This record gives sequence, structure tokens and C-alpha cells, in this order.
Amino acid sequence: MSRLRALFLCPGRGSYRRAQLGSLAGPSPAVDAMEAVRAARGMPSLRALDGAERFSPSRHLAGEHASLLTAACTWVDYERLDPEKVDVVAVAGNSMGWYTALGVAGALDLPSMALLIDTMGGYQQGHLVGGQLVVPLTGPDWRPDPERAARVQQVVDDTPDLYWSIHLGGQAVLAGTRVALDAALERLPSETRGAVTYPLVLPLHSAFHTPLLHGTAGTARTELAHLPWGAPAVPLVDGTGRSWRPFTAAPTGIAAWTLGDQVTAPFDFTAMVRAALGEYGPDVVVLPGPGEGLGGAVAQVMIEMGWRGLRCRDDFMAVQKSGAGPLISMCRPDQAARVSLR
Amino acid sequence: MAVSRADIVDRQFIDTLSALEPARGAPRPDLDAPVRSGSTISARAAIGLFETMVSSRLLDFEARALKATGQSFYTIGSSGHEANAAVAWATRPTDPAFLHYRSGAFFVGRARQVPGTTPLLDILLGMVASADEPIAGGRHKVFGSLPLHIPPQTSTIASHLPKAVGAAFTLARQRRLGLDGTVPADSVVVCSFGDASSNHSTACGAFNTAALADHQNLPCPVLFVCEDNGLGISVRTPHGWVAARFQNDPGIKYFGADGLDAVDAMAVAQQAVDFVRSTRRPALLHIRLVRLLGHAGSDVEQLYRTTAEIEATEARDPVLAMAVQLVREGWLTPAQVLALYEETRARVHALGQEAIRRPKLTTAAEVMAPLAPFDAPAVLEEARRAPDPEARERFWAGRLPEADRPRHMAMLLNRCLGDLLVKYDNTLIFGEDVARKGGVYHVTADLQKKAGVGRVFNTPLDETAILGLAIGAGQLGMLPLPEIQYLAYLHNAIDQLRGEAASLSYFSNGQYRNPMVVRIASLAYQKGFGGHFHNDNSIGALREIPGLIMGCPSNGHDAVGMLRTLVAAAQIHGQVGVFLEPIARYMTKDLHAPKDGLWSHAYPPLDFALPLGEVGVYDATDEDQLTVVTYGNGVWMTLRVAARLRAEGLRVRTVDLRWLQPLPVEAMVAQAQATGRVLVVDECRRTGGVAEGVMAALAERCPGVPLTRVAGDDCFIPLGAAANLVLVQEDDIEASIRAALAGDDA
Repeated sequence: MSRLRALFLCPGRGSYRRAQLGSLAGPSPAVDAMEAVRAARGMPSLRALDGAERFSPSRHLAGEHASLLTAACTWVDYERLDPEKVDVVAVAGNSMGWYTALGVAGALDLPSMALLIDTMGGYQQGHLVGGQLVVPLTGPDWRPDPERAARVQQVVDDTPDLYWSIHLGGQAVLAGTRVALDAALERLPSETRGAVTYPLVLPLHSAFHTPLLHGTAGTARTELAHLPWGAPAVPLVDGTGRSWRPFTAAPTGIAAWTLGDQVTAPFDFTAMVRAALGEYGPDVVVLPGPGEGLGGAVAQVMIEMGWRGLRCRDDFMAVQKSGAGPLISMCRPDQAARVSLR
Repeated sequence: MAVSRADIVDRQFIDTLSALEPARGAPRPDLDAPVRSGSTISARAAIGLFETMVSSRLLDFEARALKATGQSFYTIGSSGHEANAAVAWATRPTDPAFLHYRSGAFFVGRARQVPGTTPLLDILLGMVASADEPIAGGRHKVFGSLPLHIPPQTSTIASHLPKAVGAAFTLARQRRLGLDGTVPADSVVVCSFGDASSNHSTACGAFNTAALADHQNLPCPVLFVCEDNGLGISVRTPHGWVAARFQNDPGIKYFGADGLDAVDAMAVAQQAVDFVRSTRRPALLHIRLVRLLGHAGSDVEQLYRTTAEIEATEARDPVLAMAVQLVREGWLTPAQVLALYEETRARVHALGQEAIRRPKLTTAAEVMAPLAPFDAPAVLEEARRAPDPEARERFWAGRLPEADRPRHMAMLLNRCLGDLLVKYDNTLIFGEDVARKGGVYHVTADLQKKAGVGRVFNTPLDETAILGLAIGAGQLGMLPLPEIQYLAYLHNAIDQLRGEAASLSYFSNGQYRNPMVVRIASLAYQKGFGGHFHNDNSIGALREIPGLIMGCPSNGHDAVGMLRTLVAAAQIHGQVGVFLEPIARYMTKDLHAPKDGLWSHAYPPLDFALPLGEVGVYDATDEDQLTVVTYGNGVWMTLRVAARLRAEGLRVRTVDLRWLQPLPVEAMVAQAQATGRVLVVDECRRTGGVAEGVMAALAERCPGVPLTRVAGDDCFIPLGAAANLVLVQEDDIEASIRAALAGDDA
């Protein structure tokens, strides 16, 4: 049987939650490498954080810990991939997951990737700049809803210091100053879907991907200039939908975007997934841990572009149930078995 | 089983690379160094171009594989032409590009410059005619994209060159008028075509127009790209012809590139683009290349070329040549090239499988939806919107048209056009003699003086160039009102309407529009003067163009109301409109008797417009015995006859169709049913004339209503009094009315 062609899609911060405690219990050379970086920076051990008896939101969700914890979980799943079963044809990552993707694709070596993530996450320690909130753009059926999207856009247009942060499939991540977020919360209608009530304010998040982070980006460019940026070994698709290819990617270009617009301009997850699917034609999107919080957003992009003929949430659920779905969540053993060693 | 040339070319690539040794030190890391000694092209850029070339090549292979399983409907490929990616590389994604059908590498290459695009999937969706294909929505396999500024082109040969020149001219004109266009002001227009189509008269006209503009120091930043593979399907282009033809063309700077050496093509393309961008002058980039895999998948090349010739061409494969060069220069190892090649093959194949899962067009309504969407209330509202009063006051220097006495049609049209120039700052009026002379019939008199030479101007004596300019200008955001001097002159250029302007919305699924209203001095009855070419009454070729709207006024009052509607539809919907102005009625002031002034009209109020589909009804009473359905000159003649017959007690109602395409069927039906009997008076030819459409519609919708017609003969119009022998005359109308009414008595 031929190997599954896969897009490996690294999740961003905010995916490491209570249920993920214990994810790093097993052996992992990647986690070992990250631990070494943490130790050198005088930061608490990832395995210790992950092995805590109780999940502490103030500790586990804090940028200086959650960022590399998230990347570590992703790497553990990456190491589980069975090269006999899967061929990673492209790598992408959402928001902070982009940094993880740089490591997975080989544009940065593992210690450099860990240093990048830990440094960027560390900037948040005691220095939160504004915040982020999430609001749905589609109806419950996940079909595009232009009217709803237009209403959200209107709020952004009308509210000073409120910006698009991430175009996240069927969701908008908006970011801005506290005042701007409060103003937006007053205008955006409340809506409960499943266990989540929107607009959802993301705790301990700064206004990532907005001009409010210009200072952070500048600091990062100074402090991380020495990183040994390289071309990726596998095509990397960034948060504009642009491909960085092994034989042509300019490392200086990757660095400039990563520490420039990537930090201060909207991150277009939708364009990224659409381009990765439409350019590389993967059989599956492999969504590593922690969790599977991005699964809905991936499905919504697929629905928006008609991938595999999917037109709504029910279509997606049905094909996922068939066992040959286009999304593999590594946290689901039955799905993970299609691509993993165990 | 026939030998697959695609397989042979594919195998040749793999075998050649497999036999190569890596260069010492390969792969070299200094990718920003020149790709080869003395070159201005970096290795990184060259490798990027090579990746694009490989993608294009493997798309061609996939098209043939999909066709073999009945999944693909298009196999005209780009193999051998992959160096056209160099032109994409040398231009900006905002430079409008009018491409011919071997432009796969250009398309992929340009898309590479715009993050988030998916050129491989998009091209494959086109091949399988999927409704998900982003530009034509399954209606054709075209290279087109809104974000890439590539308007889709049909396959008619060289028909896209005039509009490319028109777009280039417009770029400069917008800058001169201080208008924002849809692309940056320093853009260049790219237009590609093959060596065979460079001989087409349409192409030659476009070259001439560009050179003529340049000769007059008018900016025309167009880069013609002649992709010379030496063959037009099976017909050889004589050796050296393209270079000989263009090397010394006055006004068009020639650049020659070797398309079998893509690095050379990049360097020369860069020079050519730089020349056009910096000088705003036209240039022609002649890329010498080869055609691989035949004209199309169905073309059996062996019927007209020897195997040795085919093999010699395949040995010059530009993709292979680029691969070998990159290996020999040490930028890639053979293994890396092969890995890239196979990885691309796998991607393209996977995307091909994705494409065939996508939906097709399933209903006629879906297919036709983008032909000409029309929001009647919105168009009417726009048509009734008055221009700015202060601007009008300035334009008319205080002598407002509405203050004048009743006038004939030519004068009222002149004033309507003046108000349109005031209302829309992007309106252009152009054609032969429209400027200082004011048109043969003075319809555009003084407009250049009032609006300026930038907005009202003469064109070369070439209707194809006129309509090409209208298309190009419309695509770049202008509202062109071209004039064709006589209907007979339209016919040599009608493909610009039929194949190009009217089809753009359809082939772009409504994304690209070329708004325009083509004014044409038309029809006959010029008292024996002019002969056929100034009295032409053949409109069959216009009547059946899908999506086109055509109006024909009978008097000045209606003409103003209809023209306002057509221009509003162009403004709102990008509609292509044709306005047939009956020459014989331009100067008519009277109806029944000299000096009665009944065909002169006051300038209609600014909020007056005639909606599409609304007919004019004259002399309607409850006692009417017959409905005469007519238009144009027929209205004037019928009203005169009807008045005479009224004295005898015969009651005839005259209906002016006004709109000839689409026909106002609902209004026709109502008027037919009102009297229960119909005569159609059609001044055009019996065959292909308006009467055919009217009678067919009424026969379907009003069975039982007797229908008769009187129409022009199927003949060209002769000179002198003989013209009246083949045209409908008032006596014919009277006799037909009497016959129709007598039939009822019997």
C-alpha cells in the first residue's frame, strides 16, 4: 500500500490544556533537546510541568511555559510517525506553531527552534500586550456565512486598536488593546456552541499578529539574529499561504518574515491551509498534539474550498467516520494508527 | 499501440538525469551567485524557474493521463514553451497579462509570486471542467485569474492582441486624466501568442496600432511575446520569418531570446520588460522554442512530421536542458533534480485526483448565470441619476440642453453624450472622425472641445482597434463609448464583440467585465445615397450574441432614455451594449408633413430613462384592429401610414420594440393580445432579421394570433433609387396592413 501524503500542521499556543498533562511521559530525543535549552535558560523542566499532578492555568497557560510545552507535544507526535505509512509532503503551523514547523521542516535545528519558541514565549512573562478573542464566522454547519463575516469585519473597522489577528478557518481571532477588546465584546453577539461560549477571550494571550507587537518583533530581531536559519528540507507553508521550498527558500527571507510580519500582521491560517492543500495535494492533514483544537478550523477551510467535495460539517463528519477522512488527529488512536508506529 | 510522445519525453528526462554525474562540490550553497559565469540571473531564481517549468510539464502529462480515463477535456499543452515562465518572472503580478493557450508555465510562475494561490489545482480543475475552477467555473479551460491579473482568453487566434494594446493605451490615458486604474500606473501589459498567429490580420492590426501610437509619441506600454515554435498546428512558419518580420518594425522594439535556454530567456525578458516599463513604449519579445507532444492530445504529429524530426525536437527539450545546466553548474545534483521531478509528479497526480472529485456544472441555468446578470431596478436608478449640476453648468457653459427648443435625434444624442461625460469621469468617446469633425453626422460635435482631447479622440481607421481599445479600457476601469462609423464597418471587427467582449463575463464567471456601449450609425433609407456600405441593414450577427444588449431608437427622445440605460448597465454590471442609431432619422424633424415638428423633441429631463424591455406604444385605443410591431425607421414609416389609414376608419396600433436583443417578449405579447392580430415591419433582411425573432416568440406565446410580416429583401443595398426596391417602403406597409385586416374579414 502506498504511503499517505501528509500535510503536518503544527498547532499554536492555547492547545495545551488539562487533558494534555502527561503527554511527555515517554522517551523523546526531541523533548530531551528542548529540556536542554530550557535548562540553559534557567527555565523549569517541561517534563516537570507536564508531570504536575494538577493543571494550573496560571502556570501551564503562561506563555513562557505553554509555548514550548505545545511544541514538545507536537514533536512527540512527529516522532511517532511511521515513514512506512506516511510521507510528509509539506509542513505548516498556526501562529506559534509556525515556530514548531520551522523545526519540523528543518529550517531551524531543534535547539534553535526551542530557543526561538522559548524566547518568544518568554517575552509574555509579565508583559502581556493587549489580548485576543475568538468569534465564529460560519454557522453551526461550518458553511461560509458572508453576512456574519461582514458583521465581524464591521466591528473591526469601527473599533480603534482592534485588529484581525488570525484568519482561522471559520473563526476570527481578533486582537487589540484591552479597551478595544472590551468595546468589541459589547458589540459581538454572544453565542454558545457545545461547551464554548463566544466571543471567547483567550487567557494570558497578547495581541499577537498585530501592530501592537512591533516592539516585541524588534527585540526578537535583535536577540535572535544569530539563529542558524536554513532552507527547509520539506516545503514549508507560512501564514500568508507562501511556500518556502527546499531548493529555493532564502533563509534570510524566512527569518525576516518569522520575526517581522509574522509577529505584527494578521496570520492567515485559512490561506495557509488552502494553499498547502491546493499546492501539495496531501491525502491527509496530520494534526499533532496537544489536543485537536485546530481540527474544526482545518475542516472549515476544506469546506470553504470544497476539498474532496466537502460542503458542510455533516459531510466532513461522515467522511471522518468512514475511517478514510482527510484529517488525522494524533490524539485519536484510531486515526493516529493510519500514520503512526503504534 | 501508438507510441506516447509524452512517455518518451518523460523517459528521456529521467534517463538523461540518471546518467549524469554530480558536479564537484554540488550542491553549491551560494544560491544568490550568478547561475553561470557572466549571467545576471541568480541560481536561486533559475532553480525557482526550473521548478515552475517542471510543474507545467507534469501538468501536461497529467492532462493526458486524465484524458485517457475520460476525465479531462483539454490536452493542448505548454510542453516546449516552458521558458515563458521567464516572462512571468520578469513581470509583476499586477501587470495585466493576456495569455495564449500554451502559458502553463507563465501561469504557475506568476502564481508563485502571490502567496496563497494554488495554480496546479486551478489548472487541473480547468482540465476536468469542474465548476470549482476559480476563473471560468468549468465553462472552459483557460488561463485566467483575478488576483494574478490574468484575464481569461478564448482560443480564437490573436483576438486578444487588440485589447492588450487597448489596455496599454488606457494605462497611459488614465494617468493623463488623473484617474485611478485597477493596476499601478507604471504597469506594463503582457500579451503572448504563437508564431503562426502573428500572421493573423487581427494581430497585424494590433502591432500597427501600437506602432502608430508610438509614432505619435503616445505611450503604449505593451510587451508582445511571440512564442515561436515554428509550427501552426501542421503548417511550418518559414525559417527566420518572425525575426525578419519584427526586427525592423518601426515603433516596436525587438528583443530575441532563446527559449531553449531558460536562463537566456530570463535575462532577455528582464531587459524587454525594463524597456517597456521605463520608456512606456511597445516591444516584442521573440522567444524561439519548440513544441513538444504535438498540437494537442488528439494531434497525430506523425502525419506531417517525420519521426526523425519529432525526435530531433524532443532532443531540444528546454526543461531537460535547464536541468542539465543546473547540474553541470553544481547547483543541484542529479538525484535532487529527479527527486524534485518525482515529487512534483506525485503532487500533480494527487491534485488531479482531487480535481476529478470536484463538482461539474449540472444545469443550463448554472452554465448561463454569468452571461449578463441584470438588476433592472438598480440599472434604472443609475440611469435616472443626474450628473452634478455645477459640473453640468460648467460643461455646457451655461447653455443647458433642456433650455433649448425641440431638436432632432443627432442633436439630442450629442447632448446626452455630453451629460454622460459629465456624469462619469471615466467615460471615453472615440472612433473615426469623432473628434474635431464631430462625427460624420455631428453626433459628437464639440464634445472634444468641451471634455478635452484625452476623453474624446479619433482612432486609426480600424474597427478592430476601436473595439479592442474599448475592451482594454473597460477592463481597466474605464467606461468606453466607442463609435463605429457605419454598421457595415462593424462586420470586419465583430469578433471583438462576439468572441471577446461579450464572452468575458461568461469565461470569467462574472469576475472580469468590459463595460461599453458601442454606438453604430446604422440602417438604410438615405435617399439613394451611399450604397450598401452606408445603408447596411444586416444585424443578424448581433442578434444572437449571448449576453449582448442591443437597442435601436426611432426618435431622439427615446434615444436619450435608452442610451442612459445602456450606459448605466455598463457602469453597474459591466454590460456590453450596442446602440444602433438609424442614420435616416438623425436629422428628421417632422413626421406627417413638412414643418409639423413632430419628430423633434425637447431634451428629456435628467431623471428620464427607458428601461430595458419597455416598448413604445403609439395610438393605442380599445378599438385597435391590428398591432404593428416595428422599430427604428419602421416606426416613423408605420406612424405615417397608420395616420392615413385612420382616415378610412382602420385602427392600427404601432409598437416600437426599442430593444432588439433581448427582445421585449412580455411587452410584445401583451400588445399582440390587445388587438389579436400582428404585422411585423422589419427594415432589415428577411433572413436573420428582427421579424424572425418576433414572430417565433409570438407564435410560441400567442398561438392563434395571426402573424404576418413585411421585411427587407435578402440583398445588399444598391445605389440610387434602386435601394427602395429591396427595402420596406410605406406602400409595402400599407398593403400589408390592408392584407392583414382583409384576412380577418375573409
